[in-house]
Amino acid sequence: AAMRSRAEVDATLQTAKLNPAELLPAVQCLSFGPQAGGGECCLLQLEPGLCAELEAGHSLVIRGEKDEHAVLCSKDKTYDMKIADTSNMLLFVPGCKTPEELNADPASGNIIHSQVAGFSNNYWELRRCRPKLKKLRKLLMEDPYDGPDSQKDQTSTFSKYSTEDLLSLIQASEEEILHQLQVVDACKIEGYWRILDFDYEMKLLNHVTQLIDSESWPLSKVPLCACLEELGSLEPREMIEHILVTYGRKYVDAGEVFFEMREDKICRAIAQMLLQNAVKFNLAEFEEVWQQSVPEGMTTRLDQLQGLALVDKSSRPETIFLLKVEDLPEDNQERFNSLFGIREKWTEADITPYIQDLCAEKQTVGALLTKYARSSMLNGVKVYNSRRPIS
Amino acid sequence: SGGAGALAQWVLVELQGEVVPRQSGGLAGSLLGDLHYTSEGVPVLVVGHHILYGKVVQLEKPFAVLAKRGGAPQPSPAGPHGHYTVTALIKTKLLFKTRPKPIITHVPKKV
Repeated sequence: AAMRSRAEVDATLQTAKLNPAELLPAVQCLSFGPQAGGGECCLLQLEPGLCAELEAGHSLVIRGEKDEHAVLCSKDKTYDMKIADTSNMLLFVPGCKTPEELNADPASGNIIHSQVAGFSNNYWELRRCRPKLKKLRKLLMEDPYDGPDSQKDQTSTFSKYSTEDLLSLIQASEEEILHQLQVVDACKIEGYWRILDFDYEMKLLNHVTQLIDSESWPLSKVPLCACLEELGSLEPREMIEHILVTYGRKYVDAGEVFFEMREDKICRAIAQMLLQNAVKFNLAEFEEVWQQSVPEGMTTRLDQLQGLALVDKSSRPETIFLLKVEDLPEDNQERFNSLFGIREKWTEADITPYIQDLCAEKQTVGALLTKYARSSMLNGVKVYNSRRPIS
Repeated sequence: SGGAGALAQWVLVELQGEVVPRQSGGLAGSLLGDLHYTSEGVPVLVVGHHILYGKVVQLEKPFAVLAKRGGAPQPSPAGPHGHYTVTALIKTKLLFKTRPKPIITHVPKKV
């Protein structure tokens, strides 16, 4: 179609009985561009901060396999994506000028031809969500590393995952993924992220704690060099250093590297080692064996086992059993269903370690309990149970 | 991805109802209307035989215009899988919500 002329525009104004004196001199004649109906463009509504990130040149990535709901990831955050329908028509017009822009540029002439690049009656809405990180542990647990002598590794047909592989498979931002790799104590072996097989990890830890004991080193000052020297013949040096990093805090003193061993984490790991061998334990017996099993100078406490084990105070005698939060479902409702399936009524103190990770950015455990559980009093103590009937 | 260089700033025009092509053969290339502003900055859109009055709105939540690489059809509700580039940002919209005022013509003006 031929472009409209100023004369045609003025004629239309006259027919419409609009007074040109009340209008700015410039008119923008809008027409549909050649690609307009193609549906190749879509609109994404941006949460605070994302616009600035884009303008600074950062990328946003949409992640998700065919069977997953898509998420949008910035450098450090993850968002659920949802289509929002509007009853109105949204046209996107490049180069369309606002009154301020027209006034600021008198040279823009009195007729501007602009094309509508596309239109839509829906757009993508974003809602900040927890990164979907359970899959990360699942992938790395497909093939835990159990040492250089492992026959398994040479003939392994399991996938190994590099950072790039994880970025394309996990619905989370890069920062969230790298942080989680730290949380699960993963290490990079030959360019691939690996989680250690638990028994191998305990074997490594045992080498270190035995050495600390025989050398009478203080738990707060374990020298890296000496460990590598003494244990280097037994295990790869990278693994010795990795176990020290996992179970200690690295620091430098007078140019030498030392580790302050983490009592809570070591006690917790040894508890797991003991508890995984049976369905449940007599609590008193377990506490005795546990204290005897940890390095000299360390004290065991039940609060070290939050999210790892659960004490049953209603049984006689009292018992304790392994219950790892990372083995539970990631979805909120499924998590609560699973917990109420294990135990009908929970105190807030008992359930908190098992729902803490579900809290959204500013959400509290209390808010989660209000939403997913029903409270009642039992022997003067407030307890929570399922909102649904137990089948 | 965002990409290097400044991102283009586009404007959203929000209209009630559907945009229907006057002639068969689709919308591409056809005219939408004349966009004027009053001296007070009120947008006035003349579309066909209608006058629409609107307002300029600064968006609290700006939009990004995503173009699917490869020119595939509209993303499905299941998820916008595939690669997208951010073509432009939209921080301003012209919202036309008032009922269109029809233009009564008796004699078509010949130019």
